Amino acid sequence: MDIDDILQEVDPSFHTIPQEKRDLQELTRAWVAERSAPELLPWPADGLFERINGSIKRQIEKVEEMTGDMDPKTNFALIVIQTELERFKYLVRSYLRARIAKIDKHTLHYLSTDELRGRLSDMELAYATRHQALLHNHYLSSFLASFPPALQNLNDTAGGISMIETPDLESAVFIRLLKNALVEGRGVDTDDATNMQVNDIVILRWSDAKPLVEAGSAELI
Amino acid sequence: MALPLPPGLNHSEAAFLAEMELVTVVPRQRLESIELLGGKTPPLRPLHRADLPLWLALLLKKQRRANIVPPPWLHPSSLAEIIHRETKEDPSAFSPPPPAPSRADPARPGHAHQYDTTTTTTILSPPFLPSSCTAAAPAGYLPYHWLEVAEQLLAHAGDDMAGLGGASAGEIRGLLRDLVEVRAAKMRSSAAALEGFGGGLMSLRGVGAMELAESRGFVLGVVDGVRKIGAGAEAARREREEEEMAGPGLGLEDDESDEEMGI
Repeated sequence: MDIDDILQEVDPSFHTIPQEKRDLQELTRAWVAERSAPELLPWPADGLFERINGSIKRQIEKVEEMTGDMDPKTNFALIVIQTELERFKYLVRSYLRARIAKIDKHTLHYLSTDELRGRLSDMELAYATRHQALLHNHYLSSFLASFPPALQNLNDTAGGISMIETPDLESAVFIRLLKNALVEGRGVDTDDATNMQVNDIVILRWSDAKPLVEAGSAELI
Repeated sequence: MALPLPPGLNHSEAAFLAEMELVTVVPRQRLESIELLGGKTPPLRPLHRADLPLWLALLLKKQRRANIVPPPWLHPSSLAEIIHRETKEDPSAFSPPPPAPSRADPARPGHAHQYDTTTTTTILSPPFLPSSCTAAAPAGYLPYHWLEVAEQLLAHAGDDMAGLGGASAGEIRGLLRDLVEVRAAKMRSSAAALEGFGGGLMSLRGVGAMELAESRGFVLGVVDGVRKIGAGAEAARREREEEEMAGPGLGLEDDESDEEMGI
């Protein structure tokens, strides 16, 4: 142990961030990213949502217990707890709705390969599969059935043209650097590569930003 | 059920995020620690400063349970300094964002460590940075959510903001308005730069969340439009570059064969 380690221990800013705060940061980041990215991002793998849903549930139970208590002191705490609860619920709801919007728009695309299916949570996968099945049956019964069998598919890729619409991965996004990193971007006239600092904000194509975001060197804003 | 909004945060979503920024309050009453989903609040004792999220601080302020300490960058002299920098020193760029927490650490001068560099723990970013809108924030730098936080503080805690340095809330408001206009002009000129935007990167260091929300649709629309119009030219350029990459190799072979011929 050298002097740096000792200093770090007494340094208040170096204390590890509590789990609750980390979860809130991760949830917020996931929400902002999902709202900004042109395609569906992978469902958080480390049980973030299970943890957050669990704590929201517990908090609701606590509110139910506290509402019986009419002491003005705890009453104010109750208002604070409920306000925060609503803020959390808004974040979770907006995140899930942003995902559903993307799944609805390109259902067949996200169901087409295992890699893309892996981005959906179990619930979303069930939703997308059933939704697509219903839609296909509806089309079949209303008009597709009267077509020749060879033309009844909704996911034909014959003739080099795919029927499956895909999100535009070249759309421009804003990112903020979380670590100093080399940022490469392709442009119409030139390709750029610049060493960027923490907190730099850059406009570039999502396909160029994606590796940085996945490596945790940058976040979408 | 699906969210009908276009991609990218809009104004109200940016304002929602800004309400999670920590601000410093001076409580007037005791309040025990409350266990919230985002972590425990510090126990409040009268006249002992504490850092709370903005939404909670505003709630306490409305109920006259606490006063809010304005962040140093909202001080009129700090705002004037930023305006000076934005207009005189560097009229083309936004003023720089606050230094990373390491360098703002007064306890260990000259001993900078980044908040997180190698470990895999979560890296904090706005609105969760520990001191971008608290009393410990550095003066002379605008944090990412500066406009939203300043607006909220002036709207709901104007009297607390005014106490600082004898300036009135109106004076701070005026300075803020100047700053908004100076920076909006920069945003517009960067949009003009987009017209001939052929590169792959464009840096907007120091821009604020509200300013992004304001011009996001336009800026991204222009960048995407330029890309679509120039798609043919870009494909042709890539092809040419690939040929050039392959070219020198071929040329070298030619040279070698020439030399061999010479021998």
